[in-house]
Amino acid sequence: MSRPELSGHASIFYNEREARKYNSSSRMVNVQREITLRAIELLLLSPDKASYILDIGCGSGLSGQVLEEKGHIWVGCDVSRDMLQVAHERIDDSFDGNNKNVENDEGSDEVHDPPLSTGDLLHHDMGTGLPFRPATFDACISISALQWLCYSNSASQNPKRRLLRFFSQLYAILKKSARAVLQFYPETAEQAVLISECATAVGFGGGVVVDYPNSTKAKKHYLVLSCDRTSSKQVQQSMPSVEEQTHVSVSAASRKGIDKPIRKKKGIKTKEWIIKKKETQRKRGKSVRPDTKYTARRRPTKF
Amino acid sequence: MRLLTHNYLISNVKGTKEGYPLQIEAEEVVIEDSPFDQELVTGILPKLNYEAVIGALHQVADKVEPKPADIPEKLPEGEIDTATLEALYHVLFNIHVIEGHLVCPDTGRKFPIKQGIPNMILHEDEI
Repeated sequence: MSRPELSGHASIFYNEREARKYNSSSRMVNVQREITLRAIELLLLSPDKASYILDIGCGSGLSGQVLEEKGHIWVGCDVSRDMLQVAHERIDDSFDGNNKNVENDEGSDEVHDPPLSTGDLLHHDMGTGLPFRPATFDACISISALQWLCYSNSASQNPKRRLLRFFSQLYAILKKSARAVLQFYPETAEQAVLISECATAVGFGGGVVVDYPNSTKAKKHYLVLSCDRTSSKQVQQSMPSVEEQTHVSVSAASRKGIDKPIRKKKGIKTKEWIIKKKETQRKRGKSVRPDTKYTARRRPTKF
Repeated sequence: MRLLTHNYLISNVKGTKEGYPLQIEAEEVVIEDSPFDQELVTGILPKLNYEAVIGALHQVADKVEPKPADIPEKLPEGEIDTATLEALYHVLFNIHVIEGHLVCPDTGRKFPIKQGIPNMILHEDEI
């Protein structure tokens, strides 16, 4: 599937039909759950205390559900009204008492069993800043949303400016020593660099954690940020102002995809090629036949 | 939208100085009961802007049925008794504004609340 980010604004892509998918497709639900659990693990929250957590791009509230199970209070914001609608229905259901508990198949001894939702929703575009008081949240998570900031849908939207605005306000609304874990799908390596550059430019410490780096499908990028207020002043001084940076062309080239030179096909299935390919498959943890003297040997020709 | 969330919300439209607290023009308010959690409230207290809670409560008061238990106009110093905490919990967590508007105190920009979800989306020229 091509990337949905290229098709236009997030609020247009996540229409009612797409939003329903997020609640009915068990594969999507499981993937989101797994990512959220990993993100919570990376947050290093104090286990005995309920934290106040911001969920950016909460969508249909799947990540919020996991946060609730862990006993936290959350506020979710999303740009798609239809996704919020789905989340809202789920929260309403929890108040009506017909909350179907998701089975906890993974080590669920600590998992709380909340009959009621602790979430609150907000319709908001993260690229325009975050409307909260400074030092409000104990932590912030964001699941598969950040990459949307790398695309502009109108002439007035500048990806870099939107990213910087987002990160600087995120920095302000997090408490001292709070952490933010933002999982995202970068289209190119440059995008990942751009995002982490913008984060460090506003004073965040931290970097990108990559899970399953050898697999294209299961690979996940987590931007783990912490507010280190002591060293932030020097960083901010050396940070060029937004106006100076706006001339930097961001993703125009990366969006179209750089034209690759057309390579001539020459005997591709050579022994080296096959051994190299088997090696990569092995790295991804697939079962591969061992290399022997028969590897890549031609079959006898039929008469 | 809970009154707790309202307590943290600010307006960041261009031209606002503080943008806090947002005025609530409530049309529909409901109460959804949830079990009282003392630790939760005491954990929240230091970050809470108590004046804003009182202000918000006055603004929604005539739409709330049944009337919530009274909470003191000023936060008492030192130990707070359980009854007060319980009343405060009720105000912060159980009162939901379903329909209405949030109004920026500086610019008068209105943010609509629909089905309990405030719309804080700004246009590119409002930032």
